[in-house]
Amino acid sequence: MFDLSSMKAKIVFGLATLVIGFFLFFPLYWLVISSLKANGELYRVVPTPIPTMPSLEHFIRALTTGKLPMYLMNSLITSTCSAALVTLLALYAGFSFAKYRYIGRQPVMLFMLSAQMFPFGLLLISIYPLMSELNLLDTRPGLILSYVVFALPVSTYMLYSYFSQVPDELIDAARADGASDLRIFHTIVIPISIPPIVTVFLYSFMWSWNDLLYSMTLITSEDKRTIGPGLLLTYLNEVNSDWGGAMAASLVASTPIVIAFMFLQRYFIQGVTAGAVK
Amino acid sequence: MAVIENNPLAYPVSPKANRGGLKAGQNRIGLLMLLPAALAFAAVILYPFLSALGLSLFEYTVVMMEPRYIGLQNFAKIATDADVWAAFWTTAIYVALTTAGTLVAGLGWALIMNQPFAGRGVLRSLSLLPWVLPSTVSAFIWGWIFNSRYGVLNAFLMELGVIDFPQAWLSTPQGAMLAVVLTKVWLSIPLFMSFFLAGLQSLDKEQIDAARVDGAGNWAVLRDHILPHLRPVLIIVVVLGVIGNLQQFDTVYALTGGGPVRATTVLSVEVYRRAFEQWDIGFASAVGVLWVCSLLPPAFFYLRMLVKGN
Repeated sequence: MFDLSSMKAKIVFGLATLVIGFFLFFPLYWLVISSLKANGELYRVVPTPIPTMPSLEHFIRALTTGKLPMYLMNSLITSTCSAALVTLLALYAGFSFAKYRYIGRQPVMLFMLSAQMFPFGLLLISIYPLMSELNLLDTRPGLILSYVVFALPVSTYMLYSYFSQVPDELIDAARADGASDLRIFHTIVIPISIPPIVTVFLYSFMWSWNDLLYSMTLITSEDKRTIGPGLLLTYLNEVNSDWGGAMAASLVASTPIVIAFMFLQRYFIQGVTAGAVK
Repeated sequence: MAVIENNPLAYPVSPKANRGGLKAGQNRIGLLMLLPAALAFAAVILYPFLSALGLSLFEYTVVMMEPRYIGLQNFAKIATDADVWAAFWTTAIYVALTTAGTLVAGLGWALIMNQPFAGRGVLRSLSLLPWVLPSTVSAFIWGWIFNSRYGVLNAFLMELGVIDFPQAWLSTPQGAMLAVVLTKVWLSIPLFMSFFLAGLQSLDKEQIDAARVDGAGNWAVLRDHILPHLRPVLIIVVVLGVIGNLQQFDTVYALTGGGPVRATTVLSVEVYRRAFEQWDIGFASAVGVLWVCSLLPPAFFYLRMLVKGN
């Protein structure tokens, strides 16, 4: 795109790369490095750029003595369930919007999509008493249901844009053979839609996995607490700040989502930017 | 991977085939398919939203059994509440700085990542990492960097001779704002970059080559070809960025808790505190309603673009 043959171009380009690259990657590097330093080395006014004595003590402590494994398991359960729920709901709704022409389709779709703009914090004010009335406060099903808020609108839209591209002929042909619409959807459309389905699942999984606000508010008992508030309450509270432990636990908590993301990022980015970029 | 070959676009049909939808009078099934999502939507999004709108007209605090209708009194109270006004102002600064910062860094990084070089694919993948980290983790990372005693930022700036003493960044209003803004910019670069890279794919390379032959330099290519081409993406990214930044709660709360004092209390934190720390539900809802109003202009733009896109 840019012609970098001249010296000036090389310098400007190289400098921009260094500055933004440093800003982007240094914090990640520092996370890893700090997690590997024993406390004696970690708490120094002039930090060492590379641990002189790499130590796994923070990891061992985080995984054995703390409640981190429990938080991880809780997050895994709630995020998986809520991602499955969102994917299922968005799958049918997306197909419905894409392939049927009933009255009110367009306004309903736009309205659902605009819900992305309702502040999550405001919704929470009313979700809280709602969950309380349904006796779902401080329960996993309550949190899972509330997480639908984050990802349902965008997920529906992503699947809608994908299904719009599925040719009608494909479905009409199967109809002519006497298959019911639901059957066509399940046996013909879903099998060719695995990439967007995976994208939507991962998208909603990420929202739930990364959440702090809803989990912190709707879950009060320790044994159901998820990773976001769990980390915050364990490592940086009023009485102590265990930075080494915080860094190690952060790495552990990030690993599953990072691995999943690395495998699926291609679909993911296509899905998220689809519709906006033509 | 095999899955990608299942792309429906690969099916041999006329290009107009996918426009009309199914017209065989099957709309009842269509509505049935929409029903579960519509119910979930109504239960956890629409009902809470309307209910919050309604609650803004009530006095409802922790000591009360039932909400009491007070009309617009909550809004009258807001009008004279300096804290709420301050939160609006803080939010405006926060949104402006984060959106502008991410725009510059995200666009810059996308242009760099669009340049062919060895290892680009790996670097692109790694650039996405901040996006997927749990918000608490991002707050931890930046909290540690900005730490007053052992933070690497202080050490770095002292090494450079910019400062003489370690600064207690998170204890000063400007320092804390800087920290929450940088954290959010860092978090959002991957999303912005992805949008720009997607937009850059459809750039007409021959047109640029032709301009080069005519003697256009890098700057002219950027100004006359790349930026005009990216305009639609730029607009959507700014709108999405503003919406996202107006909503941001997690990293601010985890990093500064809205402090020191109230220096980083953005609207999301203000509403959370009023609702779940002071349990003044009616007042919190009223602030939330004004918050929604501030989201309306970008939301309107976004929807209009989607309608046009269809």
